[in-house]
Amino acid sequence: MRVALADDAVLLREGLARLLGEAGFEVVGLAGDADDLLALVERTRPDVAIVDIRMPPTHTDEGLRAAKVIRERWPAIGILVLSQHVNARYALELLGSGTDGVGYLLKERVSDLDELSSSVNRVGEGGSVLDPAVVEELVGRRRQADNPLEHLTEREREVLALMAEGRSNRAIAERLFVTEHTVEKHVKSIFGSLRLPPSADDHRRVLAVIAYLNSQ
Amino acid sequence: MRRKLVTVAGLGILAGAGAVWLAAHQPPDRPTEPGPVLTLLVGASLLGCGLASWRARPENRLGPVMVLTAFAWFASQLSETPEAWVYTLGSVVQYVWVIGLIYLLLSFPSGRLPGRLDRWLLGGVCSLFVIQLLAMLEGNKAGVRCPTCPSNLLHVITDNREAENLLLLERLLGSVLVATIIVVLARRWWRASPAQRRAVAPVIVAGCATLAALVWTQVLDLFGDPLSALPATVWFYTTAAVPIAVVFVFVQRRLARGMVAGLVVELGQPRPSADLREALARTLGDPSLELAYWFPAERCYVDGEGRMVKLPNIQSGRSSTFVERDGQPIAVLLHDPVLEHNAELVRSVCAAASLALENERLQAELRARLSELQASRARLVEATDAERRRIERDLHDGTQQRLVSIAMSLGLLESKLPDQEAVTRPLVREAREALAVALEELRELTHGINPPLLTERGLAAALDELCRRAALPARLNMNLHADRRLSDQVESAAYFVASEALTNAAKHSHGSEVRVSASHEGEMLTVEVVDDGIGGAADAGGSGLRGLADRVEALGGRLTVSSPPGRGTSLRAEIPCA
Repeated sequence: MRVALADDAVLLREGLARLLGEAGFEVVGLAGDADDLLALVERTRPDVAIVDIRMPPTHTDEGLRAAKVIRERWPAIGILVLSQHVNARYALELLGSGTDGVGYLLKERVSDLDELSSSVNRVGEGGSVLDPAVVEELVGRRRQADNPLEHLTEREREVLALMAEGRSNRAIAERLFVTEHTVEKHVKSIFGSLRLPPSADDHRRVLAVIAYLNSQ
Repeated sequence: MRRKLVTVAGLGILAGAGAVWLAAHQPPDRPTEPGPVLTLLVGASLLGCGLASWRARPENRLGPVMVLTAFAWFASQLSETPEAWVYTLGSVVQYVWVIGLIYLLLSFPSGRLPGRLDRWLLGGVCSLFVIQLLAMLEGNKAGVRCPTCPSNLLHVITDNREAENLLLLERLLGSVLVATIIVVLARRWWRASPAQRRAVAPVIVAGCATLAALVWTQVLDLFGDPLSALPATVWFYTTAAVPIAVVFVFVQRRLARGMVAGLVVELGQPRPSADLREALARTLGDPSLELAYWFPAERCYVDGEGRMVKLPNIQSGRSSTFVERDGQPIAVLLHDPVLEHNAELVRSVCAAASLALENERLQAELRARLSELQASRARLVEATDAERRRIERDLHDGTQQRLVSIAMSLGLLESKLPDQEAVTRPLVREAREALAVALEELRELTHGINPPLLTERGLAAALDELCRRAALPARLNMNLHADRRLSDQVESAAYFVASEALTNAAKHSHGSEVRVSASHEGEMLTVEVVDDGIGGAADAGGSGLRGLADRVEALGGRLTVSSPPGRGTSLRAEIPCA
């Protein structure tokens, strides 16, 4: 899988390139800011672009804006946005326009090589990735009384969070050391409790869950 | 001085008596010449008013000019004698008094000709005098139209036709000049400030009237009936009015000085500064008067609101009069330059008002210090905010990056270990997990110092995020302009008020829900956080809130806390924002 990389901090850019190389990805180019990244993507058409959210010149959300541009111009290219902050709003903005091939991860997650390569692969294959910290914030929010989330069991909430992170039933089953069949049962029950239409498609499922969590 | 004036008065009375006698005995065929009554009226007016002005304001030339004009007026009556040499002398000086009159009008009220144009005009009037002389050199009888006049002793050649032409030229030129002077005076009136108008109105009116009558006589002389007595009579009467108008203006100023006494009484009562300015403006007759007070700390003058005031220079068309008390500067009066001609009045007003001005000065100084204090508090908040942002940026760009980089190296190291390795692998994993905790703590810390969303997306987004993350369920109600950012200081003050209030509610209120509202109406941002807890917060949150109150007050706002026992706690910040 071919990957383009954008981060203004040389230390992290080079380190990440090495990690990706180690994990078997082909790094097609490195960029220091959003403009460089767009030029690089234009030139190399990678499978996935990994983008730091905060880059020059304003050091605010350039990466996010560049990601949106890439999504519009080259919808087939997967985008993994890296952030140093847990910012649910930015994550939802990014995933709001469709979860296919989009991911939002905290920067430090890349230190787990297995996590990194599975995330990049998922995004590259058109799946979605949402950082557990963001999901935790969404699921863990204190809500008004009489919220359907309050009626979910502990296990169901775990499954809901993993779904929101963008994981498939099989991945969830592996995580929780249960069978895929059990996960399917949980999912069905969750969708029933939240009054969401059932969906077999992993991608649409993520969108539905995120939209639900955000609306509460 | 007094003696000199008495002597001049005596001489004037003698000259006047002579002139009246001559006018009474003039031949009956000269209806355009002034009779004894008019001779006396104009002469007495000029002499009396001239002497009065001279005595009251010796530094002003107008008094002497009027007296000299009176003598010239009397001398012009010499042309009414049958004696040839006296007649000749009288004819030569016949119109000299008109030069005096025009000087008087052009130079009023300062006694000096204000501009180059005025000097040219006066020069032009003098040149008429020369033309008249030339006519006398050529014609036997300057008054060709005066058959009974005695012989003109000055004539060298007798060419009455030529003389008549010269006289025609004189009339023509004179009409144009005088009309120009009327225009100049009218324009001066038009451009004058209200204070100046008030000062010169009677003189300008009388002056324009007499000059208009003069033009009338000249035009009639050119085209009409040269012997019509009416315009000349009007001219002489209006001429008599001019010195009276001058004295009237001077007397009015003297009356204004009498108002100083009224001012002293008026200033006896305590009053706000607007009234003081009003009272002084009324007494001085200058509605445009401004006051500025000495501010010793900055060594400058400030207005009633404590703002610095620039003193006028020569070009600005304003004058300043400084007020001192015991050798210390107190205030400065910024006024119309016309008041400089009445320096005595200004001085007495300043003396009368100095105590009131000193009071106002102290108040203005206080206000200036307050506004300085306010500005320094605002600067302090601004500096704190900038520092917060800098620290957050430094942590983000420095420490956080380095820690992430170390985490990457550990990840790389872990991937290099052989799968069966059982000693190092758990240690590396442990280090990676410890690092993750450190990074999380650092993230919380930087978020607390300066929430990135506030800087990047503004108050509405940051408050929304804050309420979603709140420990107690928080209901947010916003009425903000989504696309309009407020200043950094206002936004962060509002944000931290809400943040601190939410934290306090979670810690102390024992409530189940918080309502947060933020609205921006007009020039005021209001943030309110209300919980449904037990209330009765004694010191309403302690030092955290005190710091927030300082922050809000530094921006000119107000933080109020209400916490009645059993009825929840509400915290409300009102922050002005342009």
